[in-house]
Amino acid sequence: MSTSATNAESFFLRHEFAIRRMHSLLGIVPLGLYMVIHLTTNASLLNAPETFQRAVFMIHSPGKLLPLIEWGFIFAPLVFHAGLGVWISKTGKLNSQQYRYASNRRYTWQRVTGIIALVYLFFHILHLHGWFHADFWLAIVRPVGFGSFRPYNAASSLVAAMQGFVWPTFYLVGVLACVYHLANGLWTSGITWGLWISPTAQARATKICTAIGIGLAVVGVSAWWAAVSPGEKEIIEWRQVEDRMYEVGVEAGIVAEDEHKRYEEQDMGELPAS
Amino acid sequence: MIALDPESAKRPEFIKVRIRRQDAPGQEPYWELHQIPYEPELNVISVLQRIAAQAKTLDGKAVPPVAWDCGCLEEVCGSCTMQINGRVRQSCSALVDRLLEDNDDEIVLEPMSKFPVVRDLVVDRQRLFRSLKRVKAWVPVDSYYDMGPGERQLRAKQEQNYPLSECMSCGCCVEACPQYTKIELKQKDGESDEAFEARKNEAFDEAFVGPNAISQAMLFNNHPTGKALASERMDALTGAGGIQACGNAQNCVAVCPKEIPLTTSIARAGRAATVHVIKKWFEK
Ligand code: SF4
Ligand code: SF4
Ligand code: FES
Repeated sequence: MSTSATNAESFFLRHEFAIRRMHSLLGIVPLGLYMVIHLTTNASLLNAPETFQRAVFMIHSPGKLLPLIEWGFIFAPLVFHAGLGVWISKTGKLNSQQYRYASNRRYTWQRVTGIIALVYLFFHILHLHGWFHADFWLAIVRPVGFGSFRPYNAASSLVAAMQGFVWPTFYLVGVLACVYHLANGLWTSGITWGLWISPTAQARATKICTAIGIGLAVVGVSAWWAAVSPGEKEIIEWRQVEDRMYEVGVEAGIVAEDEHKRYEEQDMGELPAS
Repeated sequence: MIALDPESAKRPEFIKVRIRRQDAPGQEPYWELHQIPYEPELNVISVLQRIAAQAKTLDGKAVPPVAWDCGCLEEVCGSCTMQINGRVRQSCSALVDRLLEDNDDEIVLEPMSKFPVVRDLVVDRQRLFRSLKRVKAWVPVDSYYDMGPGERQLRAKQEQNYPLSECMSCGCCVEACPQYTKIELKQKDGESDEAFEARKNEAFDEAFVGPNAISQAMLFNNHPTGKALASERMDALTGAGGIQACGNAQNCVAVCPKEIPLTTSIARAGRAATVHVIKKWFEK
């Protein structure tokens, strides 16, 4: 309460407006935009492992700059958005049981999906990316099945990490929660920033955001299916394709040599090696 | 409004009323069940009058009369606002025959949950009025001099403003708003009334202003004389507890008895806030 406000609290109160607008903006760019690109890239695996691998080579072309880009444009905004989001969800008191209006239910769902997305993304990044790529850290997380994506064996390492039942279920729920959170967040941000004002404009915006949400859900489920449906046969075949692309790419000078980004024998001991 | 058809089998002999009571500020609330004989065309205020007159619960226990607030009895003062069957509304315009159509078992009355209870169904809505001061919801005329004729108002502008001017500060909107949470402070031992008042105002001023105040700020920013304070109102709306605290649940507009386009006001204020903050930043 006011009389016992700490410095941090009073800083927050003085800048509450700017901080909340920042939260809204970061949710759209870079985070929302990044999510669209990410899901589309992953859905490209439905075409062929080559298509996906080409896209990943391109994403990894900044080389040493990549961690900077990742942290500056994705992880840092994500941590800010998530941290503030938890705080925001605690400032309100849900009442959609008492006032059962559609927009109030959406308000509740925005908070629920936000929390799901937070948990999901934390584990998703740990599971495939690993969060940090320092050797000592990878030595800890890789043996327990985290940090298991290999950019230069993109499709095969992704598929290998998505076998079984638990991870696929977790990913489906997580992706759909993220899609809802973005589509609905887009709608509320239009009111926050004063883009759609009248009830008719807001109703039109609802239709557009619903369409975006459905479209993105289709892309997201495709990306999910592309990762969970192949089996061990594809893993072996695709790994050979990726290795060939890597070797040719390095020779042509379009792929930076980096053994850390490749599949290693001991990686997935339980799976047949190529 | 027509009373329930006297021939109708659904027409009850008695009306049961469950009331959430509280003896004084800060005390534990408790439930009480009352019963009165059915009469056609009652409203909730007349039900409360009968309950107060009989001052006896359903099991025959004598109790102090239930306290409630009312004024105009025609839904323009807002003082009789309470939660009726779980939904916030004015009790003077809540018709019993309509309530019985939805639920013929009983009528449930509770005080508003976002304001401190004074007694039973009476609450202290001081914060609501404080928020109007925060956004300077008035037209600044403090001169004895003749300022000449005022600016002409376009028809379209009048039509935009009129609905907003209908607000009666009843508090339904903030009651239903998930982002508006209750603030209840207690006077400390030895604290003077002035010091307590100041402490309360400080707490109110950093909490969410609420949709009604945002809408009133838009009303006066759109007024030919009122707009002189537009920038100060925007300072208030972009300060602590300002418009950014709205979570767009849009309950406010759904429950407002005057059907004031609150979410339109909120979006307009959002746009004005965007412009205001950017302008201020470059003028620094
Ligand atoms: S805006 Fe509507 S609900 Fe809110 S105080 Fe005014 S009249 Fe009541
Ligand atoms: S739109 Fe904003 S002010 Fe209205 S009920 Fe929702 S959170 Fe509250
Ligand atoms: S008594 Fe004035 S609104 Fe009900």
